[in-house]
Amino acid sequence: MTQALTFLGIESSCDDTAAAVVRHVPGQPAEILASIVEGQTALHAAFGGVVPEIAARAHAERLDHCVEAALAGANLRLSDLDGIAVTAGPGLIGGVLSGVMLAKGLSAASGLPMVGVNHLAGHALTPRLTDAVSFPYLLLLVSGGHCQFLIAGNVDDFERLGGTIDDAPGEAFDKTAKLLGLPQPGGPAVQAEAAQGDARRFAFPRPLLDRPGCDMSFSGLKTALLRARDAVIAEKGGITVQDRRDLCAGFQAAVADVLAEKSRRALERYLALNPPTPLLAVAGGVAANTLIRSRLTALCDRMGVRFLAPPLALCTDNAAMIAWAGIERFRLGARDDATLAARPRWPLDQTAAPMIGSGKKGAKA
Amino acid sequence: MRPETVLAFDTSAAHCAAALLLPDGRVLNRLEAMDKGQAERLMPLLQEMLDEAGIGFGDLTRIAVGTGPGNFTGVRISVAAARGLALALGVPALGVTRLEALAHGLPRPLTVIEDARRGAVYLQVFGPDATDACLLDAVQVPATARTPHLTGDAAGPAALPPALPLAQAIAEIAAARSLPQPRPAPFYLRGADAAPPSDPPPVLLPG
Repeated sequence: MTQALTFLGIESSCDDTAAAVVRHVPGQPAEILASIVEGQTALHAAFGGVVPEIAARAHAERLDHCVEAALAGANLRLSDLDGIAVTAGPGLIGGVLSGVMLAKGLSAASGLPMVGVNHLAGHALTPRLTDAVSFPYLLLLVSGGHCQFLIAGNVDDFERLGGTIDDAPGEAFDKTAKLLGLPQPGGPAVQAEAAQGDARRFAFPRPLLDRPGCDMSFSGLKTALLRARDAVIAEKGGITVQDRRDLCAGFQAAVADVLAEKSRRALERYLALNPPTPLLAVAGGVAANTLIRSRLTALCDRMGVRFLAPPLALCTDNAAMIAWAGIERFRLGARDDATLAARPRWPLDQTAAPMIGSGKKGAKA
Repeated sequence: MRPETVLAFDTSAAHCAAALLLPDGRVLNRLEAMDKGQAERLMPLLQEMLDEAGIGFGDLTRIAVGTGPGNFTGVRISVAAARGLALALGVPALGVTRLEALAHGLPRPLTVIEDARRGAVYLQVFGPDATDACLLDAVQVPATARTPHLTGDAAGPAALPPALPLAQAIAEIAAARSLPQPRPAPFYLRGADAAPPSDPPPVLLPG
């Protein structure tokens, strides 16, 4: 198929309510005509994390406004579009359902085709939206909810090399901030403190570094931080600003060490495929961390691999990536009907062994 | 009043309910009981009803949706679909609460009392001394429910049966409302059940 396509994208799987319009003319760079992201940080701030019911309530009442804003921003009407792409999972089911049902209503009333998109595929295909890169490439998805290495072999062919077996690093940054009385989201706050801290003062573990493979674990790191903090409190009755900086620096260095070493191993496996233009791309909010980014850049330099970090607004949750993934899947013939189901659990690599949530309901992501 | 073509639906409990009011006075009703799967079933059900009436989504002049109180996720399924339909069709979507719908067509003064689970009820009085809907402990109800007429699944043996199928009541109420109306929003009556973190941040020492 070589026709120009313009898609609406809808995303509501976590705590960002988003809609976007993306156009792609074959042979040309994709164009983001509008991208609206309404964050919910303030709604969840008092709770020290995303509360699923609060998120779902906000999505249900804000999504249609975001769609209107995206269409207005693109100066298009629904009838000017070629299709609607919507995140159908994995994620917080209340939010995903709101998006899927909005999309079904829009599709039924407009007659536009609908494509359900895996949220992780949205992240994984972003390097093709921003830089039109070729398959296969290696992707490190590292965010508040996810952490995994994927070899993107094609639009619907992802091989997961490994990932976290418990918490995602973004979640660990948030919890660290919470334990140290820093604001949410934790990533920027912890990074700012760490910049003035001594990473060597506190000894933090590097979980699973001694094991082969690309799997990671971050929940033990969070516990280690709690213990180190409590040891300081036991000694002094509280923590000083410098204690906090040093704790942040030590924690951040441990996360960066783990990600860098596991990335090296993932790159080795990826390079064994002899990709013609080797590339490591990152996605997810944690990719904004400057220490992690510089470690990955240095690693790629050493290994002769191009390093690609899309603009932060396209690394964190957004609907442009969903519209784009919809366009890519639509070109391969993907269509969903009005029975499209919202899926809380939906691993991108269906063949890989589950890492998280491997109970009777299957792998989460 | 211009004859309206109103599509109404509700998934606030263990069902998919839908009704279609046509300008010639015909009314179509559908009710399918289901504990889950409303999100997958709702749109095909609506399409089947439109097919039966020989019209399409483009012929609708109003969308009406049940906003609860009820199952949070169920309410959002219908509200999100209603907003999507309204946005694409350029017609208004109107929200009608479950309590308003149950009261529709019944004699006043009337108290609607619905089971809210966890030992609580949703209660609203309609008529001369009308009240806003509220969430009450079930034990408080006898003192409150003094109207001659009662309805609802927690109203006891004297409860009147509903005058109309739920979705048809939603459709008729929405058809009679003057415009403009706010977009339909879930009517929760209950908070999100989220508690602030219990562990306080550490004391920050000077120096």
